[in-house]
Amino acid sequence: MSVPFLQASGLSKIFRHKTGLFAKPTNQLAVNAINLELAARERIGVVGESGSGKSTLGRLLLGLTEPTEGGVWFEGVNHKERQAQDWTAFRIRTALVQQNPLSALNPQMTIGQQIGEGLLVHHITGRAGARDRVASMLERVGLSSAMMNRYPHQMSGGQRQRVVIARALILEPKLVIFDEAVSALDVSVQAQVVALLRSLRQELELAYVFITHDLRIVRHLVDRVAVMYLGRIVETGDIRSVYEWPRHPYTRALLASVPSMDPTVRNIEPPIKGELDGSILSTGCTFRTRCPFALDRCVTETPGLRFVAGRQTACHRAEEFPQAIAKQGSLTRKDIAR
Amino acid sequence: MSNFLTVRDLVIEVPARNIKILDGISFSLQSGQTLGLVGESGCGKSMTCYAVAGMLPRGIVRTSGSVSFEHSGQTGAKSKAPKIAMIFQDPTSSLNPVHTIGYYLESSLYRHQGLKGSDARFEALRLLERVGIDRARSRLRAYPHQFSGGMNQRVMIAHALAARPQLLIADEPTTALDVTMQAQILHLLEELKAETGMALMIVSHDLGVIARLADRAAVMYCGRIIETAPVADLLQRPAHPYARALIDCMPSIDPDDLEPPAPIPGSVPLLDDLPAGCHFHPRCPRTSAECFVRFPAPATIGPVHEASCYHPVAA
Repeated sequence: MSVPFLQASGLSKIFRHKTGLFAKPTNQLAVNAINLELAARERIGVVGESGSGKSTLGRLLLGLTEPTEGGVWFEGVNHKERQAQDWTAFRIRTALVQQNPLSALNPQMTIGQQIGEGLLVHHITGRAGARDRVASMLERVGLSSAMMNRYPHQMSGGQRQRVVIARALILEPKLVIFDEAVSALDVSVQAQVVALLRSLRQELELAYVFITHDLRIVRHLVDRVAVMYLGRIVETGDIRSVYEWPRHPYTRALLASVPSMDPTVRNIEPPIKGELDGSILSTGCTFRTRCPFALDRCVTETPGLRFVAGRQTACHRAEEFPQAIAKQGSLTRKDIAR
Repeated sequence: MSNFLTVRDLVIEVPARNIKILDGISFSLQSGQTLGLVGESGCGKSMTCYAVAGMLPRGIVRTSGSVSFEHSGQTGAKSKAPKIAMIFQDPTSSLNPVHTIGYYLESSLYRHQGLKGSDARFEALRLLERVGIDRARSRLRAYPHQFSGGMNQRVMIAHALAARPQLLIADEPTTALDVTMQAQILHLLEELKAETGMALMIVSHDLGVIARLADRAAVMYCGRIIETAPVADLLQRPAHPYARALIDCMPSIDPDDLEPPAPIPGSVPLLDDLPAGCHFHPRCPRTSAECFVRFPAPATIGPVHEASCYHPVAA
């Protein structure tokens, strides 16, 4: 059997919080027994509300946070067994792109220095070689190579995010974690970055995990999606089938919450109320406190991921949901006169 | 029906840097109506709100044009000034971290309604419950850092309601929130509009939010309104190439629509280096010689539908 490219098995992370000087620390289960496999060149989206554990999952996959239980294997090697030099090799092959490009960039370095730094640190090229690589990478992400000598404050938000992406890709990584990489951008700039990522993924044989709360954007960037709720994956599968017919009430609620472009769709009750409640429920479905379809069974029995209609979903009532909800009254761009 | 708010040829400048932030903005709003302002960062949406609310930042001045209100059915000593409240994108940084939620609401109730003591507390409680905060009684003693962004936005809305505004200005009220919370806040705004009859100005770069709340929408680009129309008209028959392009940027959620969002080529020009003529011409697919020379005057596209373009997209 071949070794999976990236694998997480039974991955859990518990953060201990102290609320006061003498208070007993409370445990927060940020990531709860997650199993995930990613093939080389595969792209997966991780969606959920803030507090669902998506970013922690991203950090665990890159070994930036140590798991409490379970492990992450990259090309067959567990993060726990990596020696210092293995970590260096791993860091060259992976990258992280975060939400706010201004705080991710060093204001005192030119963008050329920042993009090229990795090449010099890892002795991949000399200074002249680095300059050439940076110039071609800048053009690849749609910026002019003349921008190399600019500082981050001299650029627009969209340009900065391209710089961050260029810096992530300069070492030709095989795995990139995008953590809310387009969420802070204007729609028009988002569209530019989406177009950029779509063209790069064809050129660079890149596998990526795209973490976002934006269900509209992620659809155009990944093949597979994992929906997270309170640290667990509650539904995962091919993005088209999940969006067409979500089988978990949380996925349904997320999709139905996306504002429609149809101005006749108004005065609709929000599909779910409240927000994530971090208090740990020892048994039963963690979503039941907000779920409009919860039964007695959802209190006593914890639903595990199981195969339903070609995807995995963790809901006792997965088979019962009709298709209609995801498409209710949505005016699509096709309806708009060209 | 008379216009509650009329903005005419408004020009807002930064004299120190010789920049025009708003260049000849005109629009009107009837009481109880909702106007949506849409456009990219830096197009002047927020500055329009500040100008309407009369709270332009220091160093930014109105050099010509007018913002006027017409009051109807209001009598009494303080009826001269219109009641305007505003909520912002980042609720947590808009709230004072050293005051409790209760103090914050009660001080506003005292200022606007003269309520004190238990009357103020009772009203604060009612407002918090109205905006959907449960266990409101204990929440009055809480501080903003103990609340999530969505709850703080509800507090901001409760605070705005304490002034019993005739106009609520909401500047990107849901941009920082999760979709699920966004759906809840949008619904709350819909309900409050119906209950109180206040007018609403909503700013967003998300056309979905505008589609949900606005009656009319104005598309802004580089300090000008380039198209204004009833919201359904704008979404289904946009006339300005920029409005059209903004709609094409919106990623679709429809599983059958696999077309990725279409980016607009180029980027928004800087305000101190605006292209001559129509500011959109360097990014526009429909330019001709005149676009380079003079900014087009608003042309009538349909009933109450205007676009500033020499070559509007045919409906």
